[in-house]
Amino acid sequence: MKKFFDSILNVSVPDPDDARRRRLLNILLLGNTIAALLALLGIIVASLIVQQSNESDVQILLVGIIVITLGIMGIYQINRRVSGRWAALLYLLLLNLIFAFTDSPAELSNGRSLFLFTIPIAMSSLILAPEASFLFAAIGGGIVAGLALSIDQNVNFFSIIGFLMLALVSWLSARSLEAALKDLRAINANLDQEVIDRTQALTQSLERERIEAGRNQAILNSIADGVILFDREWNAILANPAIRGMLELPLELIIDKNFRTLIEHPKLSSQSRVLLNAMIEHDTQPIGFRIVWGEKTLSVSAAQVYDNSKVSNSHIGTVTVFRDFTREAEVEKLKSTFVGIVSHELRTPLNAILGYAEMFKEAVYGPMNDKQVNMAERIMKNTQRLLALINDLLDQAQMEAGKLTIHIAPLKPAELLDALHGLMDKAASDKRLRLTSEIDDELPEILNGDAARLQQILVNLVNNAVKFTDQGEVRVKFMRTEDAKWGIAVEDTGRGMPESELPYIFDTFRQVESSTTRVHGGFGLGLAIVKQLVNLMSGDIKVESKLDSGTKFTINLPLVIP
Amino acid sequence: MSELALIIEDDEDLANIFAEALRGVGFEVEHVPDGRLAQERLQNGGAPFIVLLDMHLPHVSGADLLTIIKREEKFAKTLILITTADARMGDLYSDQVDFVLIKPISFVQLRDLTARLRPK
Repeated sequence: MKKFFDSILNVSVPDPDDARRRRLLNILLLGNTIAALLALLGIIVASLIVQQSNESDVQILLVGIIVITLGIMGIYQINRRVSGRWAALLYLLLLNLIFAFTDSPAELSNGRSLFLFTIPIAMSSLILAPEASFLFAAIGGGIVAGLALSIDQNVNFFSIIGFLMLALVSWLSARSLEAALKDLRAINANLDQEVIDRTQALTQSLERERIEAGRNQAILNSIADGVILFDREWNAILANPAIRGMLELPLELIIDKNFRTLIEHPKLSSQSRVLLNAMIEHDTQPIGFRIVWGEKTLSVSAAQVYDNSKVSNSHIGTVTVFRDFTREAEVEKLKSTFVGIVSHELRTPLNAILGYAEMFKEAVYGPMNDKQVNMAERIMKNTQRLLALINDLLDQAQMEAGKLTIHIAPLKPAELLDALHGLMDKAASDKRLRLTSEIDDELPEILNGDAARLQQILVNLVNNAVKFTDQGEVRVKFMRTEDAKWGIAVEDTGRGMPESELPYIFDTFRQVESSTTRVHGGFGLGLAIVKQLVNLMSGDIKVESKLDSGTKFTINLPLVIP
Repeated sequence: MSELALIIEDDEDLANIFAEALRGVGFEVEHVPDGRLAQERLQNGGAPFIVLLDMHLPHVSGADLLTIIKREEKFAKTLILITTADARMGDLYSDQVDFVLIKPISFVQLRDLTARLRPK
């Protein structure tokens, strides 16, 4: 119903004031039409009931009403199609014209119908323009004056002043109404613009998010590493295609499943299951530990995800990254086997060379002159260097493969030092150096440790000290350090090292200057092995050194090895 | 009459060097280059004064041969020296044998050691 009225009343034009006026005019026209039709009906009914009425009067009335109705329809069409202003003007003029004939000139100009001319004045300010009220006050006044003069009466100036006063009031109220509407429209327009801006911003940010999500998905889909995102309860909420190939499982068996279910899969080795269970239970964030899944070796890293958009910074899940490590693991295994075999195969002939050289030196097959003995000694010395290098390589390979283990047993520190002197005294005295040792009184007589590996560490450090010291001494000290710790210090009066080199001296294959490799031999594996052995024993090693004033290595070891 | 030293060692050169060291201090030397031959020799032959046993042998391992030596009554007085490149293995058998020699083995070291062991 409302739609129907809207469709016949509204006129769609860009200017909202124009539209409002034209709608108002249409409402008036509709009201007039209805009134005219009702009047028509009333006249017909009345003429049927009251038989003796004047037929010519009824006819005039009927014609008048029909003419007015047609006029209204014409104005309606002009209002809809041509111009609201012209339509309003015509309507108001028509109204004045009709009023001018509704009563006797005397009543219209000075009597009961005088008020009729106020209607167009008030209307005009609303449907034509605020200031139009003055025009219709003038027209109304003109008609009233004209009618009065036509019947030789005095012009009713009071009524004309009254019309003008009404026009003033109408003008003022219509103007303030329009101004208020204008303000309201401005506010609405701002509001609309804001809504448009906000909507646009929201659309853009949604679009950005969609692009970002798409990009992340593309990255996730294309990387070779398998990725699973777990929620806080370890339910898999996201997995990429790479993980499917790695685990040889369809994604349906991964996504939405709990990690605890996944690690019950028979392809996972039992040791790996223990590791993964530990990761789940303790919520740890391991980096690159290895698990065995069927034929594959996978490296697993996990990182916890926090929601830092909120104040609480809550833990919302874990990203686990799986990398196929099968080839690397095979290569490592091959390497360690290779090094093991090569070392054994190298050591046996070197042992033979050493043995034969000794036999020359010992003159087993007849007397030798000094030069020959000297040469035999040189062969022995070089062979021993090669043997030491092979031992280092073997140790390094074993350590890299994680095969080198520490065997803890009770040991006597004094025996360690005796053995050290047995092995190193000659090397020190050959360079006219003193090798001294002492044991702190507070150190227990029996310690727990791996005697063979401690011996290896000591020989390595003392050997190094002797190598880089040209005069003075090499001191070895065993001492009680902190509460549950003991320490080994090896100090020399040698040439020392620049401070800048200290951070690197425990690196594999590194010596301070490449020239020292040539002069002193060795490939710089010794200190790397020492550090790794110390770490395997849950200890730590430090070095202090200054160029030309010696070097001191200090090792701290736990008295009770975990 | 000189005492018998039995060398069980698959590397010919090392066996040569060990033999020279032992001969040098007056032992009579017998060399077996292979685990299976050594097994036969131990089961069928007489007891040497000293046996120098390599733990890494083809066919029959040094550990198996050591079991035979420990089991047979006739070897009760035989001195057992094992040779190995693996210090861990040395530790493992040190209780069952008289001496553990870790390779590389020095000619002089072996000569001096066996000289002390030989009955005067």
